[in-house]
Amino acid sequence: MATYDGVFDALGLREWCDADARTGPMSMEDLMASAQGGSDDSAEAARSLWDLPFPSLDALAESCAAVPRSRDLTVGLERGFLDIRDSLKVVVDPVTQPLSWMLREMLWIMTATPWWIMIPILLVITWLVGRSWRVVTLVAVFIGFLAFVDHYVPAMQTMAIIFVCAFICVLFGVPIGIAMSRSDRLQRSVTPILDMLQTLPPFVYLIPLIFLFSVTEPKLYGIAIILYAIVPVIRLTDLGIRLVDKDVIEAADAFGMTNRQKLFGVQIPLALPNIMAGVNQTIMMSLAMVVIASLVSAPGLGVLVLRGIRNLELGTGLVAGLGIVLLAILLDRVTKSALARIDTSRKQT
Amino acid sequence: MTENPTIKVSIRDLYKIFGSDPRGALAKVRAGMGKAELQETTGHVLGLRDINVDIAEGRITVIMGLSGSGKSTLIRHLNRLIEPTAGEIFVAGENILTWNETRLRRLRREAMSMVFQKFALLPHRTVLENAGTPLATRGTRRRDWESEAHKWLNRVGLGGNAEQYPHELSGGMQQRVGIARALTSNAGIMLMDEAFSALDPLIRSDMQDLLIELQGELQKTIVFITHDLDEALKLADHLVILKDGAVVQQGDPQHILLKPADPYIEDFVADINRARVVRVRSVMQAGPVDGATVGDVAPNDNLESVIARAGGAMDPRFRVVHDDKVIGFLEMAMVMRALVPSQSRTEAA
Repeated sequence: MATYDGVFDALGLREWCDADARTGPMSMEDLMASAQGGSDDSAEAARSLWDLPFPSLDALAESCAAVPRSRDLTVGLERGFLDIRDSLKVVVDPVTQPLSWMLREMLWIMTATPWWIMIPILLVITWLVGRSWRVVTLVAVFIGFLAFVDHYVPAMQTMAIIFVCAFICVLFGVPIGIAMSRSDRLQRSVTPILDMLQTLPPFVYLIPLIFLFSVTEPKLYGIAIILYAIVPVIRLTDLGIRLVDKDVIEAADAFGMTNRQKLFGVQIPLALPNIMAGVNQTIMMSLAMVVIASLVSAPGLGVLVLRGIRNLELGTGLVAGLGIVLLAILLDRVTKSALARIDTSRKQT
Repeated sequence: MTENPTIKVSIRDLYKIFGSDPRGALAKVRAGMGKAELQETTGHVLGLRDINVDIAEGRITVIMGLSGSGKSTLIRHLNRLIEPTAGEIFVAGENILTWNETRLRRLRREAMSMVFQKFALLPHRTVLENAGTPLATRGTRRRDWESEAHKWLNRVGLGGNAEQYPHELSGGMQQRVGIARALTSNAGIMLMDEAFSALDPLIRSDMQDLLIELQGELQKTIVFITHDLDEALKLADHLVILKDGAVVQQGDPQHILLKPADPYIEDFVADINRARVVRVRSVMQAGPVDGATVGDVAPNDNLESVIARAGGAMDPRFRVVHDDKVIGFLEMAMVMRALVPSQSRTEAA
């Protein structure tokens, strides 16, 4: 006899409980108990208030078979997801297809281009973004080192993934941030979603994605990285535009600027330092996620880290990990130098 | 100055109440509820109450009041940066409150310009680009507005700073850019919201002189907001004194100074250096001169200069001469009387 039998009896629910009673052991514990046989009564006697179980689904199900068990909840979620999977796929698959193409193309371009073309291109980009010889030298040294220890290809793969994902984060994040800055209601409704994306362990949203897409498709890890990394650029765009000096906005109004002129001529330029800080954070977070994404076939340095863990190849894992640190420092310095450049030419009084 | 200038802007029965239900509160205010009582019973803030002001074309109208008197709220009604709760605002005979967004934008772009207390320059644009903002906003091409912006920068004495950024300039220079920007728009009406309040006294005095000089050339219709009575008396052709959102007295500043309408204004004008502000025309005896005089003075001379002419002696009499015609005479006793604040004030003290 289980603990909560009395409750169901008192409520007159006994008949409802027994209507579709299932027999047979429900858990390993039950199975063991029935295998030992007949020990039930002695256990019953030992039960006191001290041992009162919390009225959880499992405890209630013991007394009343009609109550679902906790396992049914997780199974139900899984079934529900699998049921809508096909219809979801019809929509999500074509929409996200370009992401797969972009990732594949970018990976191809960055690995297929000979190193003596690729590295100079990267250095020129660094110069254009940051206008700082120190940063260019740093990039040259770091990439040179990675190439020297034969990690050039995985490093380029990692960078290719980050470029594509960060680009898409900015492409969607900045407009979302702008929309949020214009409507308090939108801000109130989007903020909890952003909080959730940021706190949900990254492994968790890999799971439904694996069900949705085949593991061989690049967009699987692309989406995971974007979902994780888009948050800061949205938040800081919203913040940056909200922080634009009210007096300047008023002046823009007083001189008859349209909303569009105000947005592109005043708000975005003045919010740019904050937006750039968001881009910097977004790149850092995509780098963190790219390692986890190697679990679902993302190429790059993450694969080597994973191999280090799986096969206990200490050296491989450490060198690849160092490579990721170098990439992080490199990307951070390049975006920071861009930020500093904007700050000095647009310093506010 | 002509005797009857045309009225450019006219404010009629203007009310502004801040709060959740301004219409309901308006009825209470019209029924005679005061500012403090309204705030206590309904939580609404009475911004402006029953304002009627005529702003003459080509003159400087100064709106003066202490902080919280509603002066900045009032000036923002003239270009509808703030919408009134009730009332009418006529610009060149048309009620601008009935205008749609497009017409309103045209008004802000072409008919009214504004100078701000905190300068409100665009920090990411050069001085030249800031000065050209009103024309660029209208869609004029850069090479077309550049000469105009240069012209006005030269006029306010910033010809050599065109390529600098606002944060590289001192406060006084920044406000010169603000004035150049307002002039570049070539609007007939200039709204100046505490334009000189953020500047230190010497620079402020310079800027006032600059404004008077420019006004002599350009004859704009200027609405100038200030909390400084000295500044108001220096600039005003027409002075409006606000208290708690209502007009206490308005008219010729000389008249207000010599005949304050209520104790509030008496308090206000008590600390003024009257000898420097009161002009001969306000105290002279009009009509033919009888008896001997020792010299001629102009009607717009201030009393300080008359006292200096008399060398401190109490007996000289002066002829008041305007355009080679004798229009009255002045005795030193009249001058002395005018230097003493009005009667009720002396009794109270």
